[in-house]
Amino acid sequence: MTTLLPSATSPLRPRPLSPRRVFTRSAAYTVLLLGVAVTLVPFIWVLLTSLKPASEIVKVPPTFFPQEWTLQSYQTIFKDPKVPLARFYFNSLFVAGSRVAITLFTSSLAGYIFAKYKFWGKNAAFAFILVQLMIHFQIVMIPAYLILVKLGLIDSLWGLIIPSMVDAFGIFLMRQFIESIPGELMDAARIDGASEFGIYWRIVLPQLGPALATLGIFTFMGTWNDYLWPLIVITTHERRTLPLLLTWYNSQHGTRYDLTMAASILVLLPVLVAYVLFQRWIVRGVALTGFK
Amino acid sequence: MTHLAVPAPVKTSAKQRSGLRVGQRAFVFGAMTPLMAYMLFFSLLPMIWAVTLGFFDYSPTRAGSGFLGLGGANPFVGLDNYRAMFAETQPARVFRLAVVNTFTFALIVLPLNLAITLPLAVLIESVHDRLKGLFRAIYFLPTISSAVAVAVMWGYLYHPQQGLLNTLIKLVGLTPPKAWLTDPRAVYFGVPLAMIAVIIAYVWQDFGYNLVIFIAALQGIPHEIRDAARVDGANPWQEFWNITLPLLKPTLLFVCVLTMLSSLQVFVIFQVMTNGGPRDQTTPLVMSIYENAFRYQNMGWAAAIAMILLLIILTFTLIQFRLLRTDWEY
Repeated sequence: MTTLLPSATSPLRPRPLSPRRVFTRSAAYTVLLLGVAVTLVPFIWVLLTSLKPASEIVKVPPTFFPQEWTLQSYQTIFKDPKVPLARFYFNSLFVAGSRVAITLFTSSLAGYIFAKYKFWGKNAAFAFILVQLMIHFQIVMIPAYLILVKLGLIDSLWGLIIPSMVDAFGIFLMRQFIESIPGELMDAARIDGASEFGIYWRIVLPQLGPALATLGIFTFMGTWNDYLWPLIVITTHERRTLPLLLTWYNSQHGTRYDLTMAASILVLLPVLVAYVLFQRWIVRGVALTGFK
Repeated sequence: MTHLAVPAPVKTSAKQRSGLRVGQRAFVFGAMTPLMAYMLFFSLLPMIWAVTLGFFDYSPTRAGSGFLGLGGANPFVGLDNYRAMFAETQPARVFRLAVVNTFTFALIVLPLNLAITLPLAVLIESVHDRLKGLFRAIYFLPTISSAVAVAVMWGYLYHPQQGLLNTLIKLVGLTPPKAWLTDPRAVYFGVPLAMIAVIIAYVWQDFGYNLVIFIAALQGIPHEIRDAARVDGANPWQEFWNITLPLLKPTLLFVCVLTMLSSLQVFVIFQVMTNGGPRDQTTPLVMSIYENAFRYQNMGWAAAIAMILLLIILTFTLIQFRLLRTDWEY
């Protein structure tokens, strides 16, 4: 029936429903639904696999739906005798949470200053930030590691936070956003005797909602899913973040697909929840900023 | 439109020209000094250090002398690291293979991605608004997923016996490949099967991103233009080819460069799915940097490889700047 719905996008639609048009419409929906299947089936397959008992995993050909539903694999992971799973969730949450809070603060502060103040060296400083946008992490990861060694931060969660407390892209995004905020409010607060930091904290920051949400979500997802830098920095098992735990499971229990798939679900879940909650911000953020 | 309230910014800039007040100066100085100092230490220093390392035979296992341990047991070797790239040694062969692999990957991913995302975006644009949002949300799901989890998932999907993919291939009566990810002799049209397998998984994860950008761009095209074409009797195909596509050109260029840049820096999915094998057939440049620097502790050589990657990336970035300067308006 959906094919008969008129499209709201154009005043000229709907076109008359000729048989040919009904055919193209149904063809369009068939392709779109096929795409949905290709997108979702891997996720569903992983979820179903994680709910099978270990004995069912090795069957050839494999079953799609579990013959016996069980939470065994999750229990095994949760009850790991060496390190409880909560520890790895804490590691990932601690790193991602710290980076979100710090990045939002430094980006909005620097973005505000770049947008609303004139000072010596401003253009040079901003050019330097633009250059940083072009230098990708993979290029500088060797010296970044060597700096961390000198600071004694190797194999520490702080080593995942301290080198990325100021984000060039975040500053750039915030500057663009703050430039469109009229200066009257800030001037009025200034006349009322507010301090400059007070203006930033009480006048500017509350108006940055959408920008902070977008940057915060992307920083969270980027940190949560980050793999290469933790792989270099972290060596002790109990300091691993979730993606590192997942590859560790994958190498330790290579044939126990019930376990590795359950671990995958556990890594995916928080980001999926965040996505369902903030889907609007995320999709719009990508469309607006071209952020990757 | 909030910025129609023009007088305020003008007033501010007049004040700025006469210099900042003491309180403002203290605030700007107090905030910017630590921020800039931080960036000099954690951004500029690594950039300079990365370039410098490429001219040294440096390993963190040897205690060098001098500034940053560059010197003594970690001597300056000039362009030797770069000359070694053309030598007939095993590391040089792996490096050259990594360059080929990286470009093979990027040059297949780009057209494949566009061939999926562009038509799909047009299709999604044509459906009812409420469904549009739903389709977009579902298609974007793999993009937000952890690359490690995606790689682990697809490693299992490709499993020769228990994997879903081979099961489906057998179900429709075809003979599936014996091993998707580990057979060095399986090569199709000059591309190793393992590479093809990783490309499929990568495009599956990545296509939602370009899709969202295309949908946004399509929504930006004024309806009047398409309606005018329709009134003139254009069929949907002519409408797409003669109206939509030319108007999408700036977005298309942007998406091309961005997809190119990110696929040139691919690492995680290869590391988890194939770890570069079989026989280095799926080793991209970033893995080559990682392995040489952190597994073989040969950081001078790895830094030189990183500089080659930087050159490649900068070339595409400059192309991007040239293209984005072109006219955007319609």
